[in-house]
Amino acid sequence: METAQKIIENISENKIHQHYISISNLNVSFGSQHILKNISLNFQKNKVNCIVGPSGGGKSTLLRSINRINNDDYNLIINGSILFNNEEILIKNKDLTKLRKEIGMVFQSPCVFPKSIKENVLFGIENHSKLSQAEKDSIVEENLKAASLWDEVSTRLNESAKSLSIGQQQRLCIARTLAVKPKILLMDEPTSSLDPISTEAIEVLMNRLKAEYTIILVTHNISQAKRIADELYFICEGELIESGSKDVLFSNPKKEQTRTYLFNGTCNC
Amino acid sequence: MDRKLKNSIFKMLIWAAACVAIGILVFLITVLFYKGFQSISVDFLISESKNFGSEGGVFYQIIGSVLLTLCAAIISFPLSLGFAIYKSEYVKNKYLQNFTDTIIYSLNGIPSIIFGIFGLILFVNFFNTGVSWFVGGIILAIMILPTVILSSYQSINSIPNSYRENALSLGLTKWQVIKTVIFPRAISGGFTGLLLGLARAIGETAPIMFIATAFSGVTFPNGLFEPVSSLPTHILSLAQQATNPDALENAWGSSLVLILLVFSFSISAFVRRLQYSKLKY
Repeated sequence: METAQKIIENISENKIHQHYISISNLNVSFGSQHILKNISLNFQKNKVNCIVGPSGGGKSTLLRSINRINNDDYNLIINGSILFNNEEILIKNKDLTKLRKEIGMVFQSPCVFPKSIKENVLFGIENHSKLSQAEKDSIVEENLKAASLWDEVSTRLNESAKSLSIGQQQRLCIARTLAVKPKILLMDEPTSSLDPISTEAIEVLMNRLKAEYTIILVTHNISQAKRIADELYFICEGELIESGSKDVLFSNPKKEQTRTYLFNGTCNC
Repeated sequence: MDRKLKNSIFKMLIWAAACVAIGILVFLITVLFYKGFQSISVDFLISESKNFGSEGGVFYQIIGSVLLTLCAAIISFPLSLGFAIYKSEYVKNKYLQNFTDTIIYSLNGIPSIIFGIFGLILFVNFFNTGVSWFVGGIILAIMILPTVILSSYQSINSIPNSYRENALSLGLTKWQVIKTVIFPRAISGGFTGLLLGLARAIGETAPIMFIATAFSGVTFPNGLFEPVSSLPTHILSLAQQATNPDALENAWGSSLVLILLVFSFSISAFVRRLQYSKLKY
């Protein structure tokens, strides 16, 4: 009875928060290696949802399950439920193309295509719809501005994207993802290969973007989580140890492991 | 023995090996160019052969060789690209990967005369095509498949997986990823392989001598199923008339023309490889 009540509550809650992701009993394995164990959590709309935890703990695996980019991985076994907008993501015949248009992803190291800056911004959207030249120009400008890159590259849009610095390339990747008009942005340690100045630029950007997008950020950088997270999820050895708002977790964590990790950066799970 | 002495002896042996190898090559090419240039002229290149090749030129032999290689290129290129993309993008199973590898390497190891006999039995006799340049093109295409497949596969395989994932994460379908990310690379690598394959194909005698070429009296083919004449088979027939000094002289000339054609393919492959090594992913 109680669980039924809970489910009904969950459903009604989901209806209120649209584009909201709810994960329950998620298990992911690669062959005999059990990576994620019984993960259940909710990501909040228009917030920076920050997944923290030590390397190899399954943070990226969790993120990669949400847009099912791991779908073709060899030996992948995935069980449980991920609801997005009240629709199950983990069904077999899910339209992955549509899903990935709605849930965009920015990867750890920037990966620009050997094309011009402009072509890189248009790379995704151009494959989805036919665009006039005017539309292309406005999409390029709008999204480069949204990614805080426009001022730096507006005069050299036709130059190779490889000529940009790594930090600029990462913002170009963000612009490219935004151009597809997703509702959710998955960010897998987007600043880990960047210098401090570029990192700050992207953190400021994330803070701005959360007004329009729901951000799910993976980081192993605790001070970054402290700076920009709204919600915090601590994952260690494939298990969700604790979750809650950043302020609560940083001031008064319930679990000893959380305290050790957040304050000492070490893990005793 | 003293370490320094060992070192210098080893160095000398390696130098000697390199010198012998290069020496033989230089000797061959020098003789070929020296003898060949004596019998080659514009007239030799544009006139047809007479008197079983001992007189006249090699015009139709060049046409025949070029036709055979073009045909082989047109057939093998799309097949190889398809196979390479299938192998790198669709075969996830390790055993199937090994199996496809084995097939490719086995195909590469088959002696060329076997291809000739296969073509003779299957096409000329069983399908009753008669001696045909088109059949010759098909057989040469099969013969160079491994080279072109491996070369395109290697260039696809060198694309980091992150490019595929980035494209997929933008909502592209698998076909769109192949079209926009994989295909351009596959074509550039495949083309290099194709040129190398063609350099080999154009010099082959055994696979085509029974199925595609006639030794004399051949001009432009009027249809798919007609014989042509080719440079390697022409050289073979001239060599058989070695007692005739005119025939031998023409054999040197034909050999030089053939070698120059082979060089032109190899050098274009080399130039392309240089260009594309700059295109970094």
